[in-house]
Amino acid sequence: MEGLAIRASRPSVFCSLPGLDGDSQRKRPPSDVFLKLPAENRKIVANSASFHPISAVNVSAQASLTADFPALSETNLKERRVNGKEKAENIVWHESSICRCDRQQLLQQKGCVIWITGLSGSGKSTIACALSKALFERGKLTYTLDGDNVRHGLNRDLTFKSEHRTENIRRIGEVAKLFADVGVICIASLISPYRRDRDACRSLLPEGDFVEVFMDVPLPVCESRDPKGLYKLARAGKIKGFTGIDDPYEAPLNCEVVLKHTGEDSSCSPRQMAENIISYLQNKGYLEG
Amino acid sequence: MSTVGNSTNIFWQESPIGKAERQKLLNQKGCVVWITGLSGSGKSTLACSLSRELNNRGKLSYILDGDNLRHGLNKDLGFKAEDRVENIRRVGEVAKLFADAGLICIASLISPYRKDRDACREMMQDSSFIEVYMNMSLQLCEARDPKGLYKLARAGKIKGFTGIDDPYESPLNCEIELKEKEGECPSPVAMAEEVISYLEDKGFLQNE
Repeated sequence: MEGLAIRASRPSVFCSLPGLDGDSQRKRPPSDVFLKLPAENRKIVANSASFHPISAVNVSAQASLTADFPALSETNLKERRVNGKEKAENIVWHESSICRCDRQQLLQQKGCVIWITGLSGSGKSTIACALSKALFERGKLTYTLDGDNVRHGLNRDLTFKSEHRTENIRRIGEVAKLFADVGVICIASLISPYRRDRDACRSLLPEGDFVEVFMDVPLPVCESRDPKGLYKLARAGKIKGFTGIDDPYEAPLNCEVVLKHTGEDSSCSPRQMAENIISYLQNKGYLEG
Repeated sequence: MSTVGNSTNIFWQESPIGKAERQKLLNQKGCVVWITGLSGSGKSTLACSLSRELNNRGKLSYILDGDNLRHGLNKDLGFKAEDRVENIRRVGEVAKLFADAGLICIASLISPYRKDRDACREMMQDSSFIEVYMNMSLQLCEARDPKGLYKLARAGKIKGFTGIDDPYESPLNCEIELKEKEGECPSPVAMAEEVISYLEDKGFLQNE
């Protein structure tokens, strides 16, 4: 297959959003970073001569067990006492943790999710492989979440019932989001046939960090490949609800990259297509810290 | 429960870039540091300190915090017994993926039941599951009460709160145990250094 149409651009935002650990926006923190907070956010610590910081005060999911429980104020604080006294009477000094920016600096790349979608046999895993290899050769860290691999572990409790398929995609989206927060270029390679489910994953991430790649390969071509013999089984009625045969595939309406099949005798290799995706990432700044 | 009737349609996808390559790139070995202990024992504090010290050494780590995950991946889970088990299972599976990616994954959650923690240990095929037990007294934890939960539990507003009306099963064979010394808790940096020494000795902070 060959041919690459790169749909232009969603705006990308880099390194300007707090990570999951709720850190502020900065490029490189000094070794000790303290935030001043007003007195009303102060937490009374246990009276002890020794230094022991208090861990974060969060709204805990456990705290919402009973319906009449009032919500705690939500802050991400650690308190520090120096020589048994607070540093100043009404000020509490708080220490920050490692943020996404620190990791991006370490890795010299920005985390994102490359979501490769398409029919079975359209070449998703092939491109995922080629992409991870090409990025590795550039010294970039990737990790591939493949629908099949994840179903052996995290999602092994799920079947192919409709609600479980949605849950499969949701969980993969959440995990991909975590990987992106680490700073990893996370490649998710799965049929993910429903627009709504893919869009839900997109909405988990900051604008620009979700790069949807559509393997635009006609059904007859996929079926003629039939790498896992699944189309044959589906045609014989041995698999029900198989995407493309008796379950729909909803093509993306507004994805970042379209890899369009233009002929089996074309000379565009998976590696060349991967390089096109890499160009996109480079242009958007994901291959630098 | 495996995917009934579907397992023959699922294949392992081989990739030329594997754990070995990623570890070489990162110059470290992926592993899971599983920090367990009562609420208020200092798990998150240690996790934070450890992550910072590792970053200072140029090592890539990431914290999986029970609370954070409950807002994302595990937001569909409540606090029924089976949901708690599922919560831990999913964290274990994600931690395994992170370790496979070459990261030092720091999981910081009460995880009170031995069976659930051991199940996570078994998910890791090699000995890259490092259990860190924050062995702090209930008295100390309750005195801290960083989230005000002990107070609520004592007032009966939270049921099944670990340490008050739900058991904490301490590890029988953990890799690292951190405890009070003469009634005082070591500093987060000191505790992080102890974990780092262990990781160093076992070769996780380099790639041979």
